Amino acid sequence: MKLDFSNPAWQQTLPPGRSVAADAPAAACAFSKEGAIVAFALGDGRVRLLPADINAAETPAGEPLHNGVVLALVGDPAGDGFVSGGDDGRLLRIAADGTASEIANQKGKWFEHIAAHRATGAIAASAGKSAFVVKGGEMKEFGPHESTVADLDFSKDGSRIACAHYGGVTVWSIGQVTVAPRKFAWRGSHVALKWSTDGKFIATGTQENDIHVWRVAQATDMRMQGYPAKVKSLSWTADARFLYTSAQPVFTAWPFSGKGPEGKPALQFGEEGAGMISVVAAHPAAEFVAGGYDSGELQLGDIKTRRSVVLKMADGSAITCLAWSPDGYKLAVGNDAGTLLVIDLRR
Amino acid sequence: MAQAQVPVTVLTGYLGAGKTTLLNRILSEQHGKKYAVIVNEFGELGVDNDLVVNADEEVFEMNNGCICCTVRGDLIRIIEGLMKRKDKFDGILVETTGLADPGPVAQTFFTDDEVKARTRLDAIVTVVDAKHFLGQLEQGDEAEEQVAFADVILLNKTDLVSEDDLKKVESKISAINRYARIFRTQKSQIKLDAILDKGAFDLQRILEFEPDFLHHGHDHDHEEEVKSLSLTADRPVDPDKFQKWMGALLQLRGPDIFRSKGILAIDGAPRRYVYQGVHMMMDSDWGTPWKEGEKRFSKLVFIGRNLDGENLQRGFNDCLK
Ligand SMILES: [Zn+2]
Repeated sequence: MKLDFSNPAWQQTLPPGRSVAADAPAAACAFSKEGAIVAFALGDGRVRLLPADINAAETPAGEPLHNGVVLALVGDPAGDGFVSGGDDGRLLRIAADGTASEIANQKGKWFEHIAAHRATGAIAASAGKSAFVVKGGEMKEFGPHESTVADLDFSKDGSRIACAHYGGVTVWSIGQVTVAPRKFAWRGSHVALKWSTDGKFIATGTQENDIHVWRVAQATDMRMQGYPAKVKSLSWTADARFLYTSAQPVFTAWPFSGKGPEGKPALQFGEEGAGMISVVAAHPAAEFVAGGYDSGELQLGDIKTRRSVVLKMADGSAITCLAWSPDGYKLAVGNDAGTLLVIDLRR
Repeated sequence: MAQAQVPVTVLTGYLGAGKTTLLNRILSEQHGKKYAVIVNEFGELGVDNDLVVNADEEVFEMNNGCICCTVRGDLIRIIEGLMKRKDKFDGILVETTGLADPGPVAQTFFTDDEVKARTRLDAIVTVVDAKHFLGQLEQGDEAEEQVAFADVILLNKTDLVSEDDLKKVESKISAINRYARIFRTQKSQIKLDAILDKGAFDLQRILEFEPDFLHHGHDHDHEEEVKSLSLTADRPVDPDKFQKWMGALLQLRGPDIFRSKGILAIDGAPRRYVYQGVHMMMDSDWGTPWKEGEKRFSKLVFIGRNLDGENLQRGFNDCLK
């Protein structure tokens, strides 16, 4: 993929896209496995499906699938639809035509976080203090942890899951429920988690405005401080050389190639945006990164040239979710006012 | 889009005092308002309502290592989740278990930036069992601390005790926390607008009203007992000196100070400066303007253990112009 920010076209006109107004905040968005459909999880219980092709006819909104807020959404790694979790305690599999079937029901709890593993077709979802892994029609429970699971992610090969909670991270082997999990301890409440794309590191954002990163093999850890707010969004680059973080007014990337980020400053680049980055998403293949701001501004950055362009101006509604299409040409964007965007970066 | 902050009422009270009855009434009565209710025991409530959220009372210690700096992480998550709903709320009620310390719940609303942006702590309401309160005081610190934290107290089950006994209970409550507004109730019957979304009003009232029914001779002055006191000043407050003194005081004495509240006449400022704190954490804002010719004064209220009023007043006097 090639995007040339010095091309005047990038400076003068915004790329083409589709904009749909939903009447509830967007909590999450995702592309289907093959990239044909994009979906948004909404605060009115709906999962809004749209064709990823921005010129195709818009599909109707459909009925609410959850009784409450749809909190989490991923592309179904074992199909052409999606998997959603809600504050009604249900985990749903949604087909490409929008029909839903229930995978799990944990009444009284919230299905708050879902991770998908593309190669194995497995999903992991958290409800309360437990994580559930669904693979090939089978569901296994991991937990309970000492407190509610605040985020979770798969290892690179999909053989393990890492769960964030009070006091650190617990790593489970999916194939061996009876094997004692590994614990990575650090005091405090860990609120976001991403396993690095090369499998070597687990990063968390904490309630106390810092980032914690463990080397999985050695179980040694490092801590990056100095953020003005909680880091709730983390994103590893496809080559695992950088970890992008939210909670800064410019793109902020910690270098993990060579000896790692210890003793080095974070790499910061791009135009200073309005407000702080609330969601960050590294491109699935190339050196690009998308950043959504709490002001509504949207930027696309290029770590190679250390430049960025504004794709959308601030409008006062915080961007709440971002997702790249599998081919990396399209970007889905949702905000807390229910504006749903699909941007096609080819021109 | 700046959103209005949703008022949060924290509901505490010893087991069996009548919290559940009150919550059931709030959820079932026609009052035209929409409240989200965060409870600790799903099954206890008779109503099945999608505005009821089950919480696990997950308390964590902040990394500063201080014993009083504890926060409810589950509440942060739940409030973030509630704010994603299409429908907005007129208020949020948080119930704590009968033996819980209200500190971590209250402190959650001073700690997390997003929670602070979306909600404000309106009041801590404590339901007291008129028949069993004096006995509960003997069984541990919980009943006493729940009263110490309160802005509003429902003295419930008054039909089960004599007027004499009620007076004894009220006098004991006032000895612990003379600034809480007390309502006598039976079966938790109270007009909801008396206890919900009252915060600003009550802060004003508490600070301007000095209860005079307290007989100071009755003060046992056991240092370790929980009590409440106020400091006043007629001269304007130097904001820098006050900030320094209050910061140091809360840092040093935070674990002993359950609540602190105040209205300050800051030197040269046209508006009242209002603040409230729980242990070491506090929140402040500019309040209503002083009227033309109005006598400007400042008042601080402390509720806690081992409070030395004279010493505190001396410290406060040093912050005045
Ligand atoms: Zn403390």
